[in-house]
Amino acid sequence: MNDSIMPENTMDDLQYRRSIYADPTSQDDKIIAAQNADPAKKQLAQELGRFDEQLKQAMKVPVPDDLCSKLLLRQTLASHQQEKRKSRVYLALAASVAIIAGLVVNYLQFSSSYTNLGDYALAHVYHEQNVFSNDDNNRVSLVSLNKKMTAFNGHFSEPMGELISADYCRFDGMKSLHLVFKGLTDTVAVFVVPKKEHLAFTDRFSDKKLQGESLGFKDANILIVADKNESLEKWQETIINNISWTI
Amino acid sequence: MKSFGNKKTPTQVLNSEPSKNSKSMATKQVRYEALVKALHGDLYRYGYWLTHDKQVAEDLVQETFLRAWRALDSLKDEKAAKSWLITILRRENARRFERKRFDMSEYEEASIMDTQSTSSEQEIENQWLRNKIAQLPPEYSEPLILQVLGGYSGEDIASMLNLNKNTVMTRLFRARNQLKDALEKEPEKMRFRHE
Repeated sequence: MNDSIMPENTMDDLQYRRSIYADPTSQDDKIIAAQNADPAKKQLAQELGRFDEQLKQAMKVPVPDDLCSKLLLRQTLASHQQEKRKSRVYLALAASVAIIAGLVVNYLQFSSSYTNLGDYALAHVYHEQNVFSNDDNNRVSLVSLNKKMTAFNGHFSEPMGELISADYCRFDGMKSLHLVFKGLTDTVAVFVVPKKEHLAFTDRFSDKKLQGESLGFKDANILIVADKNESLEKWQETIINNISWTI
Repeated sequence: MKSFGNKKTPTQVLNSEPSKNSKSMATKQVRYEALVKALHGDLYRYGYWLTHDKQVAEDLVQETFLRAWRALDSLKDEKAAKSWLITILRRENARRFERKRFDMSEYEEASIMDTQSTSSEQEIENQWLRNKIAQLPPEYSEPLILQVLGGYSGEDIASMLNLNKNTVMTRLFRARNQLKDALEKEPEKMRFRHE
């Protein structure tokens, strides 16, 4: 500490000097106390305060007048370009989403995640188990059933029971006829499914709750799915006795 | 429009999104302009003292604000804006050094502001001080500028420069000490004198 402003007799003076040089505006209790005890210390602080003021003036180099407007202009240009880029990105994004959505729908609709008729039939019935109830009062006439059967070149000669619903549906991607009959305790589902190779024919199938049997005809399979209180043989018999195929 | 929480129909989404978006863009724009107006001077001066070059300082400030615009959403507290910007500027400056490591010798004393050759006594003193500040090692001048010009406390400076507070205080002490020494050697340069 050469050229010291104050005599440095004690460590305290040195400490004070180090602190006040590091921060002339310090309001630290020890600094204030030291200043109050020693006018020379207070004077040093004031002197450094004035010196800081001069430093500040010197540090305030002139700022270019046009800097502010330049900054605002550059931002406007930059964000304009950013916007343009962004809208292109959004467009590309929307296109990708559309393509993926298309693929997913396609996949869900036409892919076969089941390997045999029975599994699919069970899944189908579970899927629709809340749609139909055994107490439905809706009835479908034999005439309109047969109208729908023409799509499969089939014909039923007599009513086979109380038909609650007869509608085309997608049976694992194939256009099929889904019949719902009133059963003993719950509805009985009968599917008329065109013969395709991608689902293996299963003669009998069942799980804890439902049972099913398949009837193979020349161009179509007929599947019966019902709960375990139903006699599937009886239903099979009725169908075989009733159905006739044109050509 | 239905109450909140209802699912929007596709047309509602289409209608409301762009206006919401442009509204937030507008607020962002207002925030940004306020920042530029309030702080570009401080930033420029800080850049100048980091680089000792008017043009480089200006470029740095431009880069800094451009980055600030992109990251403006991450600035939550307006009070922290200045130190946030200073941090960006310091990083930009470090990048500049990475880019042209070999040009460093350019920024010599000669390029220190020398425009006020025909000016008042005050200006001559300022010029003399500027040269002395510029001659300080950067690790001493930077905290000093943050303290005197930026008004930051020792703690603030320590966290901005990633140093511990004692180091900052020692550097501040040395910075002032060196300037005072210089003053002692050329007392005729300044009206300011100790008794």
